[in-house]
Amino acid sequence: MRMEASNENRDLSQELQGMTGENVTLCDLCQKCTLVCPTAYAMGMKPHELMGSIQRGELEEIYWSGAIWLCISCEACNTCCPKGINVLRLIEGLREMAQRFDYYNPEAATASMHRIFLNLVERWGKAYLLPLIVWTHLTMLAPFKDIELMSPLLLKRRIKLIPRKQQGAKKLRQILSRIQALEREEGAKRE
Amino acid sequence: MRWGYFPGCSAGDDAKDYDLSLRYVTRALGIDLVEIKDWVCCGGLSGSSASHLYSITLPLFNLFLAERQGFERIVVPCPICLSRFKKVHLEWAQAPSLQEKLKAVFDAPYQGKANVYHPVEVFLELGLERIRERRRRSLSGLKIACYYGCFLTRPPELCSFDRSENPQSLDLILRQLGAETVDWSLKTQCCGNFVGFSRSDIVQKLGNDLLKEAKEAGANALAVACPHCQTNLDSRQEQIKRVYQVRYDLPILHLTQWMGLAFGALPEEVGIERLLTSPREVLGARGLI
Repeated sequence: MRMEASNENRDLSQELQGMTGENVTLCDLCQKCTLVCPTAYAMGMKPHELMGSIQRGELEEIYWSGAIWLCISCEACNTCCPKGINVLRLIEGLREMAQRFDYYNPEAATASMHRIFLNLVERWGKAYLLPLIVWTHLTMLAPFKDIELMSPLLLKRRIKLIPRKQQGAKKLRQILSRIQALEREEGAKRE
Repeated sequence: MRWGYFPGCSAGDDAKDYDLSLRYVTRALGIDLVEIKDWVCCGGLSGSSASHLYSITLPLFNLFLAERQGFERIVVPCPICLSRFKKVHLEWAQAPSLQEKLKAVFDAPYQGKANVYHPVEVFLELGLERIRERRRRSLSGLKIACYYGCFLTRPPELCSFDRSENPQSLDLILRQLGAETVDWSLKTQCCGNFVGFSRSDIVQKLGNDLLKEAKEAGANALAVACPHCQTNLDSRQEQIKRVYQVRYDLPILHLTQWMGLAFGALPEEVGIERLLTSPREVLGARGLI
């Protein structure tokens, strides 16, 4: 394993530390995170391998594996990490960073699901299951996926057909546009 | 006692059964829930994929609203919202620069006075004695597996009312109501709900693991404290049956639905008819519906 950090490598761990405050170089790949992770079995790059890849600055491998999108944020890894590293926070940092790159993403549907969720929130003030599910399935070009799940949910009135807008939605949009302006300002300052 | 109430997207709309049963139980225990006016989504687990600032602004904005409306104690039934609130509150308290930034964004400062509580926390605070007194019917004969999911007890440093390994709060409450609770090992394993819309294979596998373990431990029903776990485990049982060729037929009830039934509620008062995996056999045999 190549642990020696080249300039580029140091950049990734350092950049993530700047974003998240988490020091990935503390990790000695003990694999505890992988052992407790409920979705590790489906990841091409297991959580501890992800930590190693961050240390080595393998940005392309990280995004190509799609692993960061299979994390379900359950915090099991954080709870058991002997070095006290917040693995979830690092994954969130990588998700945020992903917007800057154009790497192939095998889990693109999950990434779009998050974006759709936020679009709904910005429009209605809250997220609704029906449009979230239907829209996500449309991006997968599989509109009838999970149809056997949807029909009983609809029949039992477990999901609403017509969303009811939250009164606070307008104020929320105003606040979010201020946040985005702040972030642009800070980004410009850094450059 | 007047408490602020932040229903969240789930109990606020799609999981009406949770909202109904929570309101029933709190009313029975003498708690007055007042919905926070103009609340918005907390951003859930998706906010952070836009940006970190985005993900902390949404929860803080809601806490800010609650504080302005005079609520210092807020009931948050969804553990995802709850954990977002607790985390951002801590981050806010430790970062003066963030406080300054948000003051400008919200047009007024947030003072940090809003505290959030999960219903389970509220029930424990009221005392098990009070819950036992309110009991009108016994849940005896039921063997319930209590499922805590991920966010109720994690991260451990933000959960003051229970431990994150083998938690007991739901078990304690249900035992007061006459039920037997089973020991099982996947109490806090995530059910994967959020990845389910894009990767149903993953939630089916996780759901199958959980239901299998609960069944093997002898449970004939589950109690959950999260609207997402409820929807996920309840609605996926048909798919799991098809994929894994196993039939579990385990009704998944909210803790508040169990409590409501024991307090003497009619099934429709706590949304029992909305359950997808029929509880008729389990509850009917014991005269609960």
